[in-house]
Amino acid sequence: MGKSTLFNLLTGLNQHVGNWSGKTVERREGYFELNGRTTCLVDLPGTYSLTANSPEEVIAREFILREKPSMVIAMISAANLERSLYLVAELAALNVPLVVALNMIDVAAQEGIQVNVDALAQALGLPVIPMTASKAIGVRELLAVVEKSLDRQIFSNAQKPEVRSDHREVLSELERLIASHVPQPYPVDWVALKLLEGDAEMLRVMETNLPKPVWDAVYAVTCAHDDAFLAVASGRYEWIGQIIRSAVAHPKVGQVGLTDRIDRWAAHPVWGLVILALILGLVFWLTFTVGSPLQELMDTYLIAPLAGLAGQALSSAPVWVQGMIVDGLIGGVGSVLTFLPILVIFFAAFALIEDVGYMARAAYVMDNLMHHMGLHGKSFLPLFLGFGCNVPAIMGTRVIDSWPARLLTILIAPLVPCTARMAVVAFIAPVFFGASAVWVSWGLILLSMFALVSSGVLLNRIIFKGQRSAFIMEMPLYHIPNFRTVGLLVWQRSLAFVKKAGTAILGMALLVWVLSYLPNGDLNSSLLATFGQSIEPIGRLMGFDWRLTVALITSFPAKENAIATLGVLFGNSPDAGLADALAATFSTPSALSFLVVTMLFIPCMATVAVTKQETNSWRWALLSVLLLLGLSFLAGAVVYHLAVLLGM
Amino acid sequence: MKLLAEIRSGGTHEIGALAAKLGTTPALVSAMLELLSSRGYLQPYQSCVSGCEGCGLKGDCKTSGEADGMRLWQVSA
Repeated sequence: MGKSTLFNLLTGLNQHVGNWSGKTVERREGYFELNGRTTCLVDLPGTYSLTANSPEEVIAREFILREKPSMVIAMISAANLERSLYLVAELAALNVPLVVALNMIDVAAQEGIQVNVDALAQALGLPVIPMTASKAIGVRELLAVVEKSLDRQIFSNAQKPEVRSDHREVLSELERLIASHVPQPYPVDWVALKLLEGDAEMLRVMETNLPKPVWDAVYAVTCAHDDAFLAVASGRYEWIGQIIRSAVAHPKVGQVGLTDRIDRWAAHPVWGLVILALILGLVFWLTFTVGSPLQELMDTYLIAPLAGLAGQALSSAPVWVQGMIVDGLIGGVGSVLTFLPILVIFFAAFALIEDVGYMARAAYVMDNLMHHMGLHGKSFLPLFLGFGCNVPAIMGTRVIDSWPARLLTILIAPLVPCTARMAVVAFIAPVFFGASAVWVSWGLILLSMFALVSSGVLLNRIIFKGQRSAFIMEMPLYHIPNFRTVGLLVWQRSLAFVKKAGTAILGMALLVWVLSYLPNGDLNSSLLATFGQSIEPIGRLMGFDWRLTVALITSFPAKENAIATLGVLFGNSPDAGLADALAATFSTPSALSFLVVTMLFIPCMATVAVTKQETNSWRWALLSVLLLLGLSFLAGAVVYHLAVLLGM
Repeated sequence: MKLLAEIRSGGTHEIGALAAKLGTTPALVSAMLELLSSRGYLQPYQSCVSGCEGCGLKGDCKTSGEADGMRLWQVSA
């Protein structure tokens, strides 16, 4: 607000810093010369109101009331006038000589906010001095007004806000009850107002000062109007609103105007959804058009030759060492690392969307849609905010008060499409669907959202019983993205992915390789094949052979393991990468079914762990796994057979 | 307070839309929300306060309710 800046400007080194008596709040006091008059200046704690909600507020008002300063300078921000004027409304009620220092006038002007200082002074009934304390602009004028006020050459006639009309009689009744019992230095009308507001400190003071029958009457009035704070605040905001209307012109053009214009479409209940769908489509298009060719290049010109080189270099090493390095390490982790270009583009696109301020609009329009479909906001909004990772989505359910509702929301939270699942989609979709991969990916997200919403609507009907939740969102202004911030986000997320590839994915790839090698080095008679073939009948329902079934199961520790496992199982040859091998082995219906099952499959290990942590029960974590297992298998089987029927 | 009545009618409200409904400025609605929040009528939404330690994305995930310059409140029970 610039209060300390002004204090330092005026007092320089001639100041003392200590603590307010009995408090840990800093007290600063200093002296300056005002036309030969030594003047004491006290820097009161910064606050936006004078109700006893914090020690700072109590200190500020007690000082003004007890020390009776010759003048109070209210240092307020022109850039945040609506909030600052609440303090002026409270100060005006204290009947003290008051001058308003309207600071940050330059910042307000930059934001396009034009304050008519004369109109503001007239509306407030107080002297108002425009200032820019950081540049010492307006200080001289402020001191001149202070001096005139001290010399009684200027008289202020503060316009005070009134309590909302339905509580004015109650206020009068309180004033009448306490009139002859209010201790010094408190003004009667101010005490009555504070009692009406339910100010804890004033209630305590008056309880000790009022005769018992009077206190009982006062207490009865305050209890009967325990929501009177809203009436007092309403009166103040009505007053602030009038002042703002008469003295402030908000920008019609520029950033705010641009945000409003864009939001007419982007936050529109229908067009907002169309724009969201287009943006998602654009992100996928960009990912597949730029990322997938890069991924193929990495696969063909980096991973496959690397596997070849490693094979040659290890030609004299034992076969199992060759297999572990070439198939396990390079085939598994290498395949996953080829995701990096896809993910970098994916992360960059989303970081850009977030940084320009669009993500809040996406949440808003989606929530609007879900609301119309009967989904409880508390079930959906936190989940959407956790978009990208299921762990925060589950934590987001903490907002739900009812335990059954929260539990069921936790159970559906893994249906939020996470980045790792999208990475698997981004790898597989172009292999099988080419130019249509954008539509397939888009459809898969819709499928996840459909599953989420259907479960949520059911949840709302059964558990929330149609109650309406309430959220308030403050959306940021659109702004030109900061490419450093976007770059940093992409770097952090990419680094997190590479770390995951070097730990969880590496571990699983090596385990898969070991199981695919033992007992005799032949994949088809390996432990993994035996296990895979034993569960293959389930996979067959969805069009999977044992390798796809195993790949799906190994995605439990981390979703990307599905690709790492396929990388190990299909190995790497200098001629063809994993993508070509997959395209040559599996049919389109099988691939589509695999993508559908991946989107709806049991969540990753971290998500199951957090489900256990949040529900404090393995039973619920297991139920979550079983539910999603059933749902994904059912959806996969339906999609596979439909695709076969349609001749895909 | 009309604002509180409007919020309690349910659904997700955006500050600009609330301001338009109440015939005031978004800044004034923000100020009112701050006050209602300080008095316990509303509470700022924060979900990821204790569970994100160790998560590589905790610095930039959206669940703090303040990331991306967006703020979110819910009505207190």
